Amino acid sequence: MKRYDLIVIGAGPAGLSAATEAASHGLRVAVFDENARPGGQLFKQIHKFFGSKEHKAKIRGYDIGRELLKEAESLGVEVFLNAPVIGLYAEKEVVARHADGVRHYKGDTVIVATGASENMLTFEGWTLPGVMGAGAAQTMMNINRVTPGERVLMLGSGNVGLVVGYQLIQAGCELVAIIDAAPRVGGYGVHAAKVARTGVPFYLSHTVVRAEGTDRVTGVTIGEVDASWQIIAGSEKHFDVDTICIAVGLSPSTQLLKMAGADMAEPAAGAGFLPVCSATGETSISGLYASGDVSGIEEASSAMIEGRISGVAAAGKLGFADAETVETRLNALETALSALHEGLFAPRNRGKSVPLTDEGIDNSQHLLKNGYLADDEVAKYPGVKRVSGVHPIIECTQNIPCNPCQDACPKQCIKVGANIVALPVFDETSACIGCGQCVAACSGQSIFLVNDDIGDNLASVTIPYEFLPLPEKGDVGTALDRSGTPICAATVTDVRAAKAFDHTSLLTFSVPRDEYMRARFWKKGAAV
Amino acid sequence: MSAVDRTRDIGEYVPAQDDDMIVCRCEEITKGEIRRAVHDGMYNVHEVRRLLRCGMGLCQGQTCARLVKSIVARELGVRSLEDATARAPMRPIEMSVFANDGGGE
Amino acid sequence: MRIANHPILGEPEVREKVTFTHDGAEIEGYAGEPIAAALRAAGIVIHRYTKKYHAPRGIFCAIGRCTDCVMVVNGKPNVRTCVTPLESGMTVDTQYGAGGERA
Repeated sequence: MKRYDLIVIGAGPAGLSAATEAASHGLRVAVFDENARPGGQLFKQIHKFFGSKEHKAKIRGYDIGRELLKEAESLGVEVFLNAPVIGLYAEKEVVARHADGVRHYKGDTVIVATGASENMLTFEGWTLPGVMGAGAAQTMMNINRVTPGERVLMLGSGNVGLVVGYQLIQAGCELVAIIDAAPRVGGYGVHAAKVARTGVPFYLSHTVVRAEGTDRVTGVTIGEVDASWQIIAGSEKHFDVDTICIAVGLSPSTQLLKMAGADMAEPAAGAGFLPVCSATGETSISGLYASGDVSGIEEASSAMIEGRISGVAAAGKLGFADAETVETRLNALETALSALHEGLFAPRNRGKSVPLTDEGIDNSQHLLKNGYLADDEVAKYPGVKRVSGVHPIIECTQNIPCNPCQDACPKQCIKVGANIVALPVFDETSACIGCGQCVAACSGQSIFLVNDDIGDNLASVTIPYEFLPLPEKGDVGTALDRSGTPICAATVTDVRAAKAFDHTSLLTFSVPRDEYMRARFWKKGAAV
Repeated sequence: MSAVDRTRDIGEYVPAQDDDMIVCRCEEITKGEIRRAVHDGMYNVHEVRRLLRCGMGLCQGQTCARLVKSIVARELGVRSLEDATARAPMRPIEMSVFANDGGGE
Repeated sequence: MRIANHPILGEPEVREKVTFTHDGAEIEGYAGEPIAAALRAAGIVIHRYTKKYHAPRGIFCAIGRCTDCVMVVNGKPNVRTCVTPLESGMTVDTQYGAGGERA
């Protein structure tokens, strides 16, 4: 039986991070993954990540994946692909499939990083071709480069639904609506806002009544739900769609841990069983760890840190790193992880309504109910100050862990501070030079540059733009407001693309002066 | 596996409008079949699986495990239920491959 | 629909075009892409009909977990087309029931 110091199951963000961390301390590490490619779901994450530098903020998921793989390779980690682990036993024996047979391995330590699977929801017609997980749509378009359909309805307004919804538009699909049975948008407000301003309606307190079609989806009927989740008669709406994406959460893939005999418990009755873990992810079985989504659903950013925590813990357990080295490293990693556990979306706030931001400002209920900020509430937030000349308008209104805007500004106009969930503050005494670095750096695409007077009674608005075809200077079009409603004519005055912007172009257009605080998107052609 | 409380009275099976909804996509088991099985005395996920084969098809319950569990729990009037047993092989595998056991070679 | 140019991902990498058959008809795809991707690009969304209710099924998870997209590939039933790479000359057929049956 082949022996390794550490066997990692799953080559996603947590698994690869665990493997590289352990290998950097000298462990002989093998990683098994059932897929043909490593990286788990990282390579289909084409958006910029949140967090701070240490969390690889403002880097797109696939680039983080490439970086991790390179690191693993340079440290001599053996990655076995097309090698699903079909069994895990308490003695840390791992059985994996290879080609036409199965092989047994022994890990002195084992880290299970099997991730999660998408939750599903039943409705009439949910088995028809065209109904699929949001993750499936994401794989089809971002990995396989084929659109899942042409007209899509997204069910679920959590971060997965919002991010995949946006990516569907980027891939050239028409997103007809994002709906959610909950009365409030579940994901980051900035993710919702970047979808809403393109003109996609949000229907909260709505669910799918039925998928229509006999051989494949040809339409969908949605309806409003009452407090007991029943459809309100007469509230039904129909959309012609060929695809319905389901994004109603994820469940940890814990089967291997359960099979190995690790203790499982529910955080609350009915919440679903999770492995009982120590702070380093060690389960009730000594030397068996659970890392990343399998130990509880979070973002890939946290999964990568959790992986490193388990990796260094395994190194300590086997004597590859002394107690002091382990402690120093664990402290640093735990500090990085706890930064991601703060703010509006902190684990302790799950399912709760939080009326005020940490700064004591109202959390926008309009944003939660419609997917975008109301025009009259934008000015309440510290990133929005109306001064003359070019300056940023930072429509970042929820306490989420993210600070690339602070580092991006060469003139130190933007301050988040040491606590990265704090709302960014625009310092109007600093001299904004209109470079646009903040606009491109904002992972939430919530920073706009405005100039309230460019002459001829016009103002300019610069927006982050990630669609094709890229407009050209001189293009005549229409400005849309935060809800995606056309408000006025707008001419493109500048289009900036730079390597440092990492595929986010900066589109500047001119609007009448009294519209620059409302105009937040641009479409070619006159308003219909 | 924890003991099953068979003294519990969950009442008669009452047909519901969405009873013909497919829940287990592989074995094509409906919500009504699962609900009926509970009233027939299958008081946990394991027993329902063995009777109906839901979650025992090609995908091994990847999609329906959670759905089946919530239907059974609701029918029993409980919040929490144990998951089905996890067993090898975790992924569909042909018998010829499973039998070609190279051990530790 | 194939995504020719993508605002973030750019142009797709150059891949070898191959021909395969779907229920006897010749279709083009790219070598190495999942069979399911080639079918979707060709507008084919029905991968199989179920055993009990003869209901159509297609891509559902696209990562090899749900097994809804299985088809008969080179005569072998229950092949997960979302994770099986396309090869030149493959025969890909709609699966009826467990694979042995016909329409």
